[in-house]
Amino acid sequence: MKSRNIAIVAKKELSGLYAEKTIVFAILLQLFIALFSSFLMVGLTAMYDPNAISGYQGVEYGIGYVGEKEGGLYSIIDDRRDLAAYRMDLDSAIASLKERQISAVIWVPPTLPDDEGPIVVTLYTLQNDIQSSIVEVKMKEVLLTFEEELRSVRSERLMMNPIKLNFPDTRGGSNYFEFVFGLLIPLLVFMPAIISAALIIDLITEEYQSGTLETLLSTTVTYSEMLWGKILACILIVPVQSAAWLALLAANGIVVQHPVEILLHVIFGSMILILIGAFCALHYRERTSAQFIFSTAVVVVIILAMAVPYNPLNLLVRLAVGTIGPLHWMILSGIVALAVLLSILLNRYAERIGLLPMR
Amino acid sequence: MGMSTLRQISVIARWELLRTLSTMGRGVLPAAIVLFVFLVAASGLAAESGVHLQDGIYRLGTDNVPAGQVIAEDTRFTVYLDSGQSLWNNREFYDVIILNSEVYVMDDEKGRAALTSLERVFERYTALINAEEPDLYAAYPLWIDRRYEKSELDFTATQSGQRVSPIPQGQAPAPQGPIVPVATPDGAVPYDPRVLRAEISRSAVQDDSVGRYTQVIGQESELGSFRTPDQLAPPLPFDSIILIFVFIFPLYFTSQFYMMSIMNERIERRGEILLSVPYHPSAIIIGKALPYLAMMLLISLLIILISDLPLIIILPLIPVILFFLSAALVIGMLARSFKELSFLSIFFSTVATSYLFFPSIFANVHVVSLISPLTLIVLEIQGDSFALTDYIYSTSLFFLTSAILLYAGSVNFNEERLFSLHRLLPRTIEFISAGISKRYPLISVFTLGALVIPFVFMVQLLGLVLFFNLPMPLSLLLLIGYAAVTEEVAKSIGIYALAKILPGGLTWRLVIFGSAATALGFLIGEKLLLFATIAQVTESVFGSILFLSLQVLWMPFLLHAGCLLVVAVALKTGGLRLYVPGIILAAIIHVLYNLIVIGVISL
Repeated sequence: MKSRNIAIVAKKELSGLYAEKTIVFAILLQLFIALFSSFLMVGLTAMYDPNAISGYQGVEYGIGYVGEKEGGLYSIIDDRRDLAAYRMDLDSAIASLKERQISAVIWVPPTLPDDEGPIVVTLYTLQNDIQSSIVEVKMKEVLLTFEEELRSVRSERLMMNPIKLNFPDTRGGSNYFEFVFGLLIPLLVFMPAIISAALIIDLITEEYQSGTLETLLSTTVTYSEMLWGKILACILIVPVQSAAWLALLAANGIVVQHPVEILLHVIFGSMILILIGAFCALHYRERTSAQFIFSTAVVVVIILAMAVPYNPLNLLVRLAVGTIGPLHWMILSGIVALAVLLSILLNRYAERIGLLPMR
Repeated sequence: MGMSTLRQISVIARWELLRTLSTMGRGVLPAAIVLFVFLVAASGLAAESGVHLQDGIYRLGTDNVPAGQVIAEDTRFTVYLDSGQSLWNNREFYDVIILNSEVYVMDDEKGRAALTSLERVFERYTALINAEEPDLYAAYPLWIDRRYEKSELDFTATQSGQRVSPIPQGQAPAPQGPIVPVATPDGAVPYDPRVLRAEISRSAVQDDSVGRYTQVIGQESELGSFRTPDQLAPPLPFDSIILIFVFIFPLYFTSQFYMMSIMNERIERRGEILLSVPYHPSAIIIGKALPYLAMMLLISLLIILISDLPLIIILPLIPVILFFLSAALVIGMLARSFKELSFLSIFFSTVATSYLFFPSIFANVHVVSLISPLTLIVLEIQGDSFALTDYIYSTSLFFLTSAILLYAGSVNFNEERLFSLHRLLPRTIEFISAGISKRYPLISVFTLGALVIPFVFMVQLLGLVLFFNLPMPLSLLLLIGYAAVTEEVAKSIGIYALAKILPGGLTWRLVIFGSAATALGFLIGEKLLLFATIAQVTESVFGSILFLSLQVLWMPFLLHAGCLLVVAVALKTGGLRLYVPGIILAAIIHVLYNLIVIGVISL
C-alpha cells in the first residue's frame, strides 16, 4: 500500500463532503440535538421547579383550605410568602378553583396529629395546567414540612434508627451538572463517531452500486488503498467535530478537563465503529442491507458497552470531570489493540475481496 | 380508469415485494436474527448490571463506615474510607467528605451537585428503612389523595398574562358561577398497610434516570391517586415514553427501506424501465409504498398486541406512518448521493422525532403537548381516552403534509427530475417549480401559498415547543422573530421559483400581483386550517404571534402582501443575490408589525 494513494483517496472524499455540504447537515443535526436536549432540560426544570422561572417569582397563589384552622397545616401554608390560605367550604372552593379564583384546594380531615391512623388530606388542582404544576410543587414543600411535624409528634412510636447525616445548608444546588457532564458531553463528543461510521458505509457501497469502483481501480490505486483512504477520511473528521464541541462548551462556560485524552478516546472509539461499518459495507456491497445490519449492530455494541463498568463512554465522563487516574491509559491501550486487530482482519478480508470480480 | 389504476398499483406492489425479499434474502435476514438475539441478551445484561455511564463522577471520603456502605451502593460515588485527620488533610481531592455524621462539601458547582445527589441517596435509604417501621403511620403519618378538576376557563388564561386571578386579598374569593355540591372525601386510605409499604419501597428504589437530573419530577404511583408527600409532583409518564420509542424506531427503519428503494431507481438510471411502462407516476409511487405501509401497520399491530395495549392507539400512528413514508419518498428523490441521503434522513428523523417525542413528555402538564399524535397514545395508555376533536387537532397537520409531499413526489416522478444531478437546493426549487405553471403563474403561486401552510404550522409549532420553556419576555421575542422568518421564507418560495424558471425573470406585473396572490393564498390557507384545528392554541399570546388574529383580515393581508413585495422587488431589481437581504428586511417589518399588534410598541 502506498500512503500517497491513500492520501489521494482521503482527500477526494473530504472534498466531496465539502462540495456536497452534507457535513453542514451533520453539524446542523448535532447543534439541533444539543439545543433540543438543553431546551428540554431547562423546560423540565422550569416546569417542575417554579423557582427556575423568574417570571413566576413573587407571585402569591391562593389556596382554598377546607377544614379546622387549628391544624398545623393552615399556618404552614399561610406563613409562606408565595401562598395565601383561605378558609372555605368545599363546594364553593371547588367552584372558585374551576373559575381560577384560587390555584388549589386542600381538604383536611379533623384527625388529630397524634392519632393512631394516618391523616389523609385531599388536594385538588386543575388538570393539564402549567400553573397547577407549579402550585403542586409548592404544596409538596408544605406537605413535607407538615409530615416532618407529624413525624416528630409520633416519634416515640418509631423503632428503626436509620443513619442520620447533617447536611450543610447550601441550597440552590446545581440541577444541570450531572446532565451536562454525565449525558450531554458524552453524547455530543461521541456523535461524530457514529456519523462517520454511517458515512463509511455510504462511501464504500456507492462505489459498488453506481459502478465507479472499476474506474477507480483502473488507476494506480489498489483496492486496499481505496478502502483505507476512505477510512482515513472518515476518521479525520471525527476529532475536528468533537474538538469543536469542546471549544463551544468552553465558550459557554462549561470547561471540560483533559480534552486531549478525551479526543484520543474518541478517535480510537470511532475507529472501532468505522471498522465495523467497513466490514458491513464490504460484506453486503449494498447500502440498504449494510446500513440496516450496521445500525442494529451499533445499538448492540453501545448497550453492551454501557453495561460494563469503565466503558469508553463512562471514561469520557470521568475524564471530563477529572475523577480518573492513569487507569484510563490502560483501557485506551486495550481499545487501540482491538482497533489494530480489527484493522488486520479487515485488511485480510479486503485483500480477498480485491481479487474477486467487482460485482 | 379507477380499476386499472388499482391494478397498476397491485402489480408494482407485488414487484416491489419480490425485489425486497430477494435482496433481503442475501444473508440479511439470518444476520438480523442473530443480531436481534444479541440485542435481547445485551439488554438483559444492561438491565441486570445497570447503566454505567455516570459511574464514579464524584469522590467521597468518609470515616463513617455504615454511611459509606450506604453511599457506595450508588455507582456515581467512589467512596474512600480513611481516618478523619487524613481525609481533612487531603480534602482538595474529594468532592464531599463525611466526618462522623457531618457532611462537608467542596464549594463549587460539582460539590453542590454531589451534595444534591447525596441527599437523594439518603432520602431513598431513609424511605426504605421507614417502610419497615412496625407502626407505618408513625413513619408515614400523612397521605395525600390527589384529585384533578377540569377548568371551566380556557387553559390559555394562565398564559395570556392573567397568571392568577385577583390575589392576594384579605378574604376568600367568592365564585361567580353556580356552586355544584362536591362529595366530601372520606379521609381514609383504602389500601392495606402491606400494599403501602411495598409501594414506598418500590418508589424509593426506582432508578428514574430522568428524575435524576431534575429531582423534582414525581413518580407514577401504583396506589392510584394516593401518595406520600414525597411522591407528589406531576409524574413523568416514563413507561409510556419508552413505549413510544418502541413504536417510532421500527417505523422509521421501515420507511428507510422505501427511501432506499426510490434511491435505487435513480442509480445508473435503473428506473428507466419502470418509467417506460405506461403506468401513472402516482400508481408507481403508491405501489412501491404499499408493501412498506403494510409492514409498518403490521409491526405496530404486533407491538400493540404483544404489549397488551388498547387497539385504538393504531389510529394516532397512521398519520405518523404516512408522514414517514411521504418524507422518505421526497428525500429518496432529492438526495444526490448516498451520503446526502444519509444526512438528510438522519436530520429529518431527528427533527421529526423531536416534534413527535418532546411534546408528549408534557402530556400531563400542558395542552400544547397535544400537537404530537404520540401524546394521544400516552394519554390512552394512562387510561384517559382522547376525543375526536383531540385526534383532529393533533393529526391533521400530519395528514395534510403527507398528502402534499406525496403529491410533490408524484408530479416530479419523471426522467428529467429523477436523473438530474443538480445540487440539493436547486433540486428542491426544481421540485417546487414543477407545481408552477408558466401560463397561469398567479393561480400557481396562490395555490402554493395555501399549500405551504401546513408546513409553516409544523415548523412554528416546533418553535412553540422549543420556546415556551423559556422565561416569558424572552420566549415571546424569540418566537416573534422565528415566526416572522419562517413565514417570509415560506411565502417567498413561489416568487423565488418563478424568478428562477421564467426566461426573462420577474415582470413588474408579476411582482405586484404575484405577491398579492401568494398573500391571499397564504391567508386563506391559514384561516381554513385554523378554523379546522388549532383554535385552542391560537387564543394564547403565543398563538396570536404565530397565527395573526382571526378578527381583522385586511391588516394581515396587507402585511403578508407587503412583506412579500419587499422580497419580490429585491428579486426583480437585484436578482437572486438580493434574496437573503430581502428576506431579512421583510422579517424585520413583520416583527415590528407583530410588536405593534401585541402592544409592545405603540404608535
